[in-house]
Amino acid sequence: MLAHLEHVTKRYVKADGVLDLSLGFPAGEVVGVLGLNGSGKSTLLKLLAGLLQPTQGTVRVFGKAPRQARSQFVFLGEQDALWTWMTPRDAEKFMSGVYEDFDAARFNELLDVLDVPRRKTKAMSKGERGRLRLAMSLSRDVKLYLLDEPLAGIDLISREKILSSLVREWHTDETILLSTHEVAEAEGLFERVLLMKAGRIALDAQAEELRDEGKSVVDAFREVLS
Amino acid sequence: MSPTDRWILDMDAGPIYVQIGARVKEQLARGDLAPGEKLPSARDLAALLSVNPNTVAHAYERLEADGVIETKRGLGTFIREDAPVAGTKKETLEAAAVRYVNEARRLGVSLDEAADAVKEAWNAGSS
Repeated sequence: MLAHLEHVTKRYVKADGVLDLSLGFPAGEVVGVLGLNGSGKSTLLKLLAGLLQPTQGTVRVFGKAPRQARSQFVFLGEQDALWTWMTPRDAEKFMSGVYEDFDAARFNELLDVLDVPRRKTKAMSKGERGRLRLAMSLSRDVKLYLLDEPLAGIDLISREKILSSLVREWHTDETILLSTHEVAEAEGLFERVLLMKAGRIALDAQAEELRDEGKSVVDAFREVLS
Repeated sequence: MSPTDRWILDMDAGPIYVQIGARVKEQLARGDLAPGEKLPSARDLAALLSVNPNTVAHAYERLEADGVIETKRGLGTFIREDAPVAGTKKETLEAAAVRYVNEARRLGVSLDEAADAVKEAWNAGSS
């Protein structure tokens, strides 16, 4: 297993986090993390990224505590945290300085494919910033990508570009966990889907097996939520 | 026909790999794809359809086992010169017939009524 959680519970003071999660993620799996707001999707990804500490239980990424494995995975968070003065060229310099595995050539290719304008981020739309942040994330050469809502709040064309870049850039030995509300748009990409409800895994299934039973991932999602 | 129209997928209509296989066979049956013609790479088709590349690879493996396509090392994936065009035509027609019969049954009409409707539509030249 490339990453796993054992009996992990995360409690917040005011809200529920996740409850007694035990999950494993092998190499080379594209996993959709699905659920309503507050179901625990972000908490799960942040626990794996070491941005949150479990209240109980153990999280291991590449056999280590996530904080010790930081250089080995990418976490793309929901927050639109880019410096307003930054241009894609500045982002490239920044990433090259911080990450040894950052591939500048790949980054520039991705800027073209994702149609990211070469101007300061404060002059970009939310979709353009989202595409820039994805280009930064996918230009790192790691085996685990934790992408928290990369499709949230951006336009349809940006979402399509992001999905098709993910298909193109994914290598079959890499694991991607992607949380999203855009179940219908993204479901074809996922081999495995985790449906979360109130901090627990309500369904952990292979997407093609669900379809073999005549259910789309969207149908399964509705069933679990009803 | 736009490139995606030929490959329409319905997430409620069974596994994606089966649907991609059916779309290739339909295109072959209709003459939209010809023996010897090159197919998109699994990666390109996956990107076009926003599906997992493994799913397209799975569909291609099945088509290869069915004798419809072949992979030439370093060159890509092609419709076989001896691909069973007549067979795929029959298969595609039968699948369409099943869909029609299911609809007729839901409507509660008899076989004769259903067959008459087919003849009528045929003669009216509707395509």
